[in-house]
Amino acid sequence: MGPIVCATRGGEAGRRTQERAIALTKERGAELIFLCVFDPSFAGALNGELAAAVEKEQQWLGRALLGTAQARAKKEGVKAGGEIRNGPVLETIEAFLEQVDASALVIGEPRTKSPMAAFRPSKVHHFAERVRQDTGVDVIVASLEE
Amino acid sequence: MNQFLTTESIVIVMILVTTLVAVLARRRRLPYTVTLVVIGLLIAIPTSLELEATPDLILAIFVPPLVFEAAFHLDLKQLRENLTPILLLAVPGVLLTTLLVGGMTAMGAGMAFGTAVVFGALIAATDPVAVVSLFRALGVPHKLALTAEGESLFNDGTAIVVFRIALVAALTGVFEPLTGLTDFLRISLGGIGVGLVLGWITAQLVARLEDRLTVTSLTTILAFGSYLVAEYFHVSGVLAVVVAGLLCGNVGMAGAAPSTKIMIFNLWEYLAFLSNSLVFLLIGLSVDLTLLWDNLGAIVVAVVAVVGSRAIVVYGFSWLAQFWGKASQIPSSWRHILFWGGLRGAISLALALSLPLAMPDRRELQAMTFGVVLFTLLAQGTTIQFLLERLGLTERSPQGIARERRLGRLFATQAGLRRLEQMQREGMLPDEMWTALREGYRQDQKQIIEEMKQLFREHAELEGEMLFEARREALKAERGALWDALRRNILSDPVYEKLSTDIDHRLEALDLIYGAMHERPSMEEEA
Repeated sequence: MGPIVCATRGGEAGRRTQERAIALTKERGAELIFLCVFDPSFAGALNGELAAAVEKEQQWLGRALLGTAQARAKKEGVKAGGEIRNGPVLETIEAFLEQVDASALVIGEPRTKSPMAAFRPSKVHHFAERVRQDTGVDVIVASLEE
Repeated sequence: MNQFLTTESIVIVMILVTTLVAVLARRRRLPYTVTLVVIGLLIAIPTSLELEATPDLILAIFVPPLVFEAAFHLDLKQLRENLTPILLLAVPGVLLTTLLVGGMTAMGAGMAFGTAVVFGALIAATDPVAVVSLFRALGVPHKLALTAEGESLFNDGTAIVVFRIALVAALTGVFEPLTGLTDFLRISLGGIGVGLVLGWITAQLVARLEDRLTVTSLTTILAFGSYLVAEYFHVSGVLAVVVAGLLCGNVGMAGAAPSTKIMIFNLWEYLAFLSNSLVFLLIGLSVDLTLLWDNLGAIVVAVVAVVGSRAIVVYGFSWLAQFWGKASQIPSSWRHILFWGGLRGAISLALALSLPLAMPDRRELQAMTFGVVLFTLLAQGTTIQFLLERLGLTERSPQGIARERRLGRLFATQAGLRRLEQMQREGMLPDEMWTALREGYRQDQKQIIEEMKQLFREHAELEGEMLFEARREALKAERGALWDALRRNILSDPVYEKLSTDIDHRLEALDLIYGAMHERPSMEEEA
């Protein structure tokens, strides 16, 4: 069975998503990989030194986030890997799923009333559907009700 | 000599008073400037101190540090991007404020129109020092803070030019609109010209010199010198200082050594603090309570006029600004903040203090200025945070505040435990009592940590925020360590500069990433 990939970036749904992925990994006895994707285009055109600093800080934050998620998995007796990727979120996740021949992707659904949740849950499900269609990978959305 | 020593003693005592008030205000969480004014009033009652300073001297001493420090720190690139709304509020906004306040106070307080216009001009300059520090603490949008700061910087210059013209008209009883307009343009453009020339020359020198003491001295000469040179040529000293400060801070400092930058920033921060403090103390000393009471009606009229005209100017010009393109638009929630955050402060007080003895209704004008400044500080300054929160312009969420509260409790508990430990070591606490107390504190700590974990479970985004905070703190500690190493001559200037610039970039990058993650959904949300 291919590994389970959990996309995480430390947002409001992060912990819930990671816990769901850990539980699923234990249930299926698969390998778990936490994936952190940064889209470097967010800041527009930056000067060379600042652009380099943004990349370094993204790597640093990514490592810290993945380290936290991995420690959480270890506590539950699950050994998890961690990967940082740069690029547009959807395309990068899809490419990674194909690269590792993933069996499932776990993503999170924010609370709609959260001040930071600019996205509607419907968009999360739309995203999940697109990944399913593009890659054939099982996509699990860790929602608040679970 | 005797006179000089007396003056020196008064100045030292005043600095001592401002320092004590700063300590008191910090400890008791009082508004610093208001406390200064009140202390000034209290000192003035028994001493009946008469201040003998010429109007020109007051402006020449206090205005350059206040204006230069603000201009020196402002980012020219960001200022350019927001120039349209800033200039609209600072130039036609000041002219309209002067006329509106003048008209309303002339009608409401029964004052001669010429005298009322002088008041309109001296009260037109906003002073958002207290508001801007609140902006920083609460993390409001950077562009809003920049607009408030930029407006204040330029309206200081405009208001003083208009004040001078209005003062001459009030004293001579003659005012020709066309002459007034040409005078306004001549004085303003002349001041800008002086600032450009002197600022550019100094910026070039600063960029080439390496000795930090020499460079720091040059900035001092520039701040006070540009004011004096401009005044000598009868053009705006304040605008000269604004332009000189902007050029020196942006062009001159670009290549300066880090140790020089730190020294200059510290010096100007201190000089601006001192000027601000002394102006507030001086106004407290120069206005007596009887005068305030006698002019209560006029003060009420002045407050209504100032607040009313601020509303007209902010909402009116913000509406106009949208026609200059998207970048110039001011969101409606920001307009409320710019309106209510339009506090009045040191520049208005300095101008009121500088009114010549021959000025009609001089004492009444000073009382009105004092009343308006006090009102804006007490009523507006203390409620602006509430307004920011209501408008959703602060970045602090209820769960963020809950985390902060628990952190506070944790710090307090740790401090209590440390103190008990010290008492036990010093033999003040019997062993069995120490054990019992320690156990109680440890239980409290455990509970707080458990509550924190629960909070993180319920609001996972707090973990992400904490990661950013931790990284920011760590980077600042790294920069502090580099500065220490520089001071101890372990690092040379070029090495320090390279390393600290790298950390500055990383801090900037962190803010960019944080901003992007909070404007856009996180991956869990986006996915």
